[in-house]
Amino acid sequence: MKIHSILVVDDDENDQFICEYTIRKFDPSIRVIKAFDGTEALDVLRRETPDAIILDINMPVMNGFEFLDRYAEEFEVHAPVVAMLTSSHLGKDRERAMQYAFVKSYFEKPLQADHLRVMAELLEG
Amino acid sequence: MNREWSWKKANIMAGLWCLAVGLAMMALWLAKPAELAAGHPAVFGMKFNAALAFSVMGVALLLAAREFHRLPALMLALVFLYGAAALSQHLFGIDTGIDTALNVPFVDIGTSVPGRIAPNTALCFMLTSLALGLRALQRRNGLVPVGLGFATFVIAAVALLGYVIALDFAHDWIRFTRMSLQSASCFFILAIAIIFSGKEPAGYHRAVLAGALGALSYLLLLAMTYFELARYESSFGITFSSGGTNARSTLSSLVLISAALYGGLMVHLYLSSRRSRAMAADLAAHRIRLAAIIANAVDGIITIDGRGIVLSVNPATERIFGYGAQEMIGRNVKMLMPEPYRGEHDHYIANYQRTGEAKVIGIGREVEGRRKDGTTFPLDLAVAKLELGDTVLYSGTVRDISERKASEKALLDANAELEEFAYRTSHDLRSPIASSLGLLGISRDMLEEGDLPALGQTLQRMEGNFRRLDHLIQNIITITRNRLMEEDTQPIDLRALVAESIDALSHLDEFKRIRIENHVPAELTIESKPSKFQVIVGNMLSNAVKYHDPKEAEPAIDVRAVRHAGRVRLSVEDNGLGVPPASRHLLFKMFKRLHPNRSFGSGLGLYILRKSAESLGGTALYEAKDKGSRFIIELPDGDHNENPLDPGRR
Repeated sequence: MKIHSILVVDDDENDQFICEYTIRKFDPSIRVIKAFDGTEALDVLRRETPDAIILDINMPVMNGFEFLDRYAEEFEVHAPVVAMLTSSHLGKDRERAMQYAFVKSYFEKPLQADHLRVMAELLEG
Repeated sequence: MNREWSWKKANIMAGLWCLAVGLAMMALWLAKPAELAAGHPAVFGMKFNAALAFSVMGVALLLAAREFHRLPALMLALVFLYGAAALSQHLFGIDTGIDTALNVPFVDIGTSVPGRIAPNTALCFMLTSLALGLRALQRRNGLVPVGLGFATFVIAAVALLGYVIALDFAHDWIRFTRMSLQSASCFFILAIAIIFSGKEPAGYHRAVLAGALGALSYLLLLAMTYFELARYESSFGITFSSGGTNARSTLSSLVLISAALYGGLMVHLYLSSRRSRAMAADLAAHRIRLAAIIANAVDGIITIDGRGIVLSVNPATERIFGYGAQEMIGRNVKMLMPEPYRGEHDHYIANYQRTGEAKVIGIGREVEGRRKDGTTFPLDLAVAKLELGDTVLYSGTVRDISERKASEKALLDANAELEEFAYRTSHDLRSPIASSLGLLGISRDMLEEGDLPALGQTLQRMEGNFRRLDHLIQNIITITRNRLMEEDTQPIDLRALVAESIDALSHLDEFKRIRIENHVPAELTIESKPSKFQVIVGNMLSNAVKYHDPKEAEPAIDVRAVRHAGRVRLSVEDNGLGVPPASRHLLFKMFKRLHPNRSFGSGLGLYILRKSAESLGGTALYEAKDKGSRFIIELPDGDHNENPLDPGRR
């Protein structure tokens, strides 16, 4: 199955730019939805369920983990692939994130075409 | 102490006895009851003069016991003179006329000359009066009075025993002149008082002396019996014998065996008395040492009984709890505990006594104590059970661990902060770099494609990243410098400092849109550390500028300061974005950015503000407004109110 839409949750404008650019380069047909923190992301998810979510951990207002808690609690249907994208590779964070059934992958910034390939495979698999 | 008191009583009793016997006998001699004299002639064995002398001695003894010295000595000197005169009449066969000078006896019993006292009685008067007189003058019991008393005792004891076993020679030194029973009893008691009362002179053991007195009296009596027997034999020319053995040799053997036995007993008595004295001294030294250890212990030591009543406390306990010893002794130890221990303590004791299950006893644990002023503090408590025969006591050792707990907490806090710092810096330092690496890749693409306008934008993004990184590093440097920097307090002109800080912000883009007003009174100064103070003011102002509301028609910032109760309160008020209620608990924490879509902060600003305020002994506060924020710092004026929990950090 091909990826049709990806929700990028990141408070950093530059990271949003990089994600968008890399995704377009990877497959211009993928629709990119942007959210700048957890609350915004939840708002988006109430409207639609994208094929994949790329999620930063450190964000103001509602960080990645708080978002995951709410997402697990409040939603019955989850995006098929949720990938964490973070700037530091801390074992503790990774373990915590991977406890959620819908979190499939854990990447380190910046986002690369390889990461998207892995996500596409996960979606197909 | 108790013993001294009881020996003093012995003195008084001897005095009273002499006085009573003397007065009674004088009364009898004056009353002249002929019938009594016929029926019981032995009663009048004590002469009027002797009765008078005993009365005088009795009074002298009572006076001496009441701390009189010269008067009793004078009275005793008279008695001594009388005894000397009476004795010289016997020795030299003269008649001084003192025998009938005061009273002409109506009967004549037990004497060679009417009214004359026996020579042993006269001698005893001399001995006792001299002994008591010396003691009254010297105000202590020397060896001379004790020796005199010793001699008196032996004479009197022998006379008394002579009455008991009907041995006339024991009291009749010269035929028909005897020491009366009454006199013997008086001398006996006087001698005991002389020998044993008063402070102990160096190196004599009461027990040994008593043994020696008994032994000597006994041997003397035995010897007298021997002589009496010899006298009878020679005067009547008969020999007492039984089964061929000479009674005299039997008696002399008896004397020797007794002497040997007594000698052995005396040595034993002396040794055991010396040993017990050494043990007592040892014990006393031990007790003093133990008491000194308890008194000087750093820890509080409290003993309670089975009901929880305080029996003793040491000075450290007084220091720790603020109560005097007398306020604690006799009351329940609960008084030193806050709730819930206070209410539960009886229950704890009962529980332990019923089940034997110890919660503190023999284990020790951390509990809370309550001082006299009502404050509570953490303390280490160790309780030991003391089983002393039938009674059970508990001894508790308490140590105030407030300081240790405070430093433990400070350490834990610092450690947690450090961990958080390491975690966040690893993220926040790498984040702009990771982003720039991504942007670099994109730039290369754009360069290959020749899309120069897009490349320019991307480079601008990269520049932003590096600025952010630089800002973060600057902040970290500020924190480190804040921690390490030694700085002296000095008077700071608050208004000028605020004006300076406002100027320093003029490079910010938003600056021109915002109306900033400095309401600080011109005369207000504060004693504080200038660099740190500047960090605080700069931080508050830049926050207010950064988080102004772009949609606000007239963004404004007002800076105010007042002095109140020795503290200076500085507030920076804005009508900007404010802090969402849900995020307020995160204010002043490390690496917390609270505003969505505005990620230019390092997340360290308010943390630096709080730390700087605390290091100056003050606090940082936030007050929400209908629109905007009010950040406040309260600082002590001068050095005296430095944060007590964090005194090392300046």
